[in-house]
Amino acid sequence: MDCDEARQLLDAYADGELDLTRQLEMEAHLAGCPACKEEAERIASFSLLLRTNMELYKAPRNLKSKIRSTLRKEAEPAWLFANARPLAYAFAALVLGFALAWTWLTFYQNKDQELVTEAISNHARSLMVSHLVDCRSGDQQTVKPWFNGKVDYSPPVVDLTPAGYTLVGGRVDILEKRPVAVVVYQRGKQVINLFIWPATRRKVDLDVQSERGYQFCGWNQAGLNYLCISEISGDELEKFEDQLREHVSL
Amino acid sequence: MGEERRRFEETFLPYLDAAYNLARWIVQHDQDAQDVVQETYLRAFKGYHGFRGGNGRAWLLTIVRNTAYNWLNRHAADEKLVPYEEEKHAEIVSFNESTKEIVSEKVKEHLQSALGRLPTEFREIIILYEIEGLSYKELALALGVPPGTVMSRLSRARRRLQQEFAQVRSSEAANGL
Repeated sequence: MDCDEARQLLDAYADGELDLTRQLEMEAHLAGCPACKEEAERIASFSLLLRTNMELYKAPRNLKSKIRSTLRKEAEPAWLFANARPLAYAFAALVLGFALAWTWLTFYQNKDQELVTEAISNHARSLMVSHLVDCRSGDQQTVKPWFNGKVDYSPPVVDLTPAGYTLVGGRVDILEKRPVAVVVYQRGKQVINLFIWPATRRKVDLDVQSERGYQFCGWNQAGLNYLCISEISGDELEKFEDQLREHVSL
Repeated sequence: MGEERRRFEETFLPYLDAAYNLARWIVQHDQDAQDVVQETYLRAFKGYHGFRGGNGRAWLLTIVRNTAYNWLNRHAADEKLVPYEEEKHAEIVSFNESTKEIVSEKVKEHLQSALGRLPTEFREIIILYEIEGLSYKELALALGVPPGTVMSRLSRARRRLQQEFAQVRSSEAANGL
């Protein structure tokens, strides 16, 4: 080993990182080369100086607790916190959506409920005080013009006799604080009150249901709301609705 | 998950000072070093599955080093990252004092500023070898270079540090006059 080669390896020698063969070669060289030996000692002593006098930076006190809390957060279930912000937004939107839907539903269900209750009272009263019709006629050509001037719209009056529903006549009643046209039909001995009014404020859409022994259903068609109430069975009321809708749409 | 976290903390939090010291020497700023160390622990925890035992200190410091370099790359190019060319900077200022002669209150301070004047790649190898006691093999892994490079880089780093140290001391002496 010559000096050039030795100088390349002196640090590794001083650090004890040479393989055995090289180390032996180096020791042989140093034994005969004071200059290299001195350099090797300088390296070792500087290394010692460094190790004993090097001032180390100490981590600030709160760093450990900061790291701990970071790790704790990281260790939480990933699906819950990895996308916490978008999830929170989604959740908030969902809650708001539910709240709105709930408000809307309860509001309109209440409205429907009020409407139905009122219509049923009207229906019951119309039967009790034998004030069923103001215009008694089985002729649609008579009943329909009768409504002119009494309400500000023209309710369809159709002849459903072939289907088994006899036209009894017409009446004006009050529903939701406004006068509405009522077309009265009869099936056997049972009376059907058909309330008709413009669907300006909202559209009625009620499947056949029962309340206080009465069946009722409602729908809207061509800008008018229809609500019919009777003691006939739900099936028969449904048929009545189908017939009526068919005739109105003609 | 909580148990894994506790095990991780038990293994690696004892190296916090070492991690901070290395980060501090690489990025050379307290708050930045803290950020680097925090990120390091987070990355280490995420990669904990990849840790197969062995020298946890070397493993963690490798991550510190990589994180710190990422940090340097993100935050404006550090001119000190430009490889140091010894030939161009060759100055024959050698370290000629023996250990005994230079025992003084100022040694620590001078070493500190001498180390601060080194290029980053020299600073880190000095810290990792002299202070943290990584072996050449561990250094090669940590720095991502062949063992031969470790040997020559450490050698050059020491020579340069000696030069800077001597310079700091001589300029101090000159000012003192």
